[in-house]
Amino acid sequence: MSLFAAASIGTGVMMIVAAVAALIVKKLISAIIIVGFVSLSASLLFLLMDAPDVAITEASIGAAISTVIFLWGRGKIGGEQ
Amino acid sequence: MIRTIVGLAIVLILMAILITVVDDYTVPSALSGVGESYTETGVEDTGSVNLVTAVVVAYRGLDTLGEVVVLFSASTAVVLILTLIPIGSGPTPPSSIVSFTAGILPSAIILFGIYIITHGHLSPGGGFPGGAVVASAFLLVMLGSNTVPGKSKFLSSIESLAGLTFGLLGFWGMFAAGQFLNNLVLPAGSPGRIISAGIIPLISLAIGAKVASELSGIFSSYRKAGGEK
Repeated sequence: MSLFAAASIGTGVMMIVAAVAALIVKKLISAIIIVGFVSLSASLLFLLMDAPDVAITEASIGAAISTVIFLWGRGKIGGEQ
Repeated sequence: MIRTIVGLAIVLILMAILITVVDDYTVPSALSGVGESYTETGVEDTGSVNLVTAVVVAYRGLDTLGEVVVLFSASTAVVLILTLIPIGSGPTPPSSIVSFTAGILPSAIILFGIYIITHGHLSPGGGFPGGAVVASAFLLVMLGSNTVPGKSKFLSSIESLAGLTFGLLGFWGMFAAGQFLNNLVLPAGSPGRIISAGIIPLISLAIGAKVASELSGIFSSYRKAGGEK
């Protein structure tokens, strides 16, 4: 198996594990951070699959902006529910 | 209990669909007709070395205009809702790590975003990614400050001006070359130079400015909702 294939499969498995973890963790803030991590892994995956422009968009919108928007939204609804 | 069963059933159905689709999928050995013509004549047609930007801005420029309209209506709706129904409390003070980082990092991020926007026709990127990167720098600035952003005429003027520029460039193509958003109303130049590829760099600039100002508008209305603390 080539290094690229190994890295892609590793990133994919990591994403699935993190996505399931985001569903089962108890605290909302942990779930939000884990979803941000899934986005960051997705952007790594896009980079491995030769789509750097999609990777840039995913890293800035998925990993940075939407994570912060979720965190602010969590603050607005009054923390843990 | 019912929620769990319904959720499980939906997951199983989606899994069945996914497995059928993956099972039928064969890796294509050649490009499809449109893709082949893009890769063969794209650089000649548009003068853009980056074929992704050539497709997004030149061949499918009308779709990009539609995307910009979608983003505009989404940001208008968010600002409207957050202004009409103020919820929660204002910003909490940042930690010293965040405020220190927010003091040094944003200028570098903004520079990188401008690079992505202006080199959209040469290297990966373009208006949308670059605008999002610039907006994330503004987000960091807002995270590092304790104050509520004021009403910004500047931001909305940039936004309107960028949208207007996009539309006017489209009409310029219509009157000069008989086609809405025609790329070659400006000379294609020599591919690979920064000033080349017709109106692609100008449209990238307009999209970048619009995306950056719109996303920043969303952030500042989030930050403002609930008032000062």
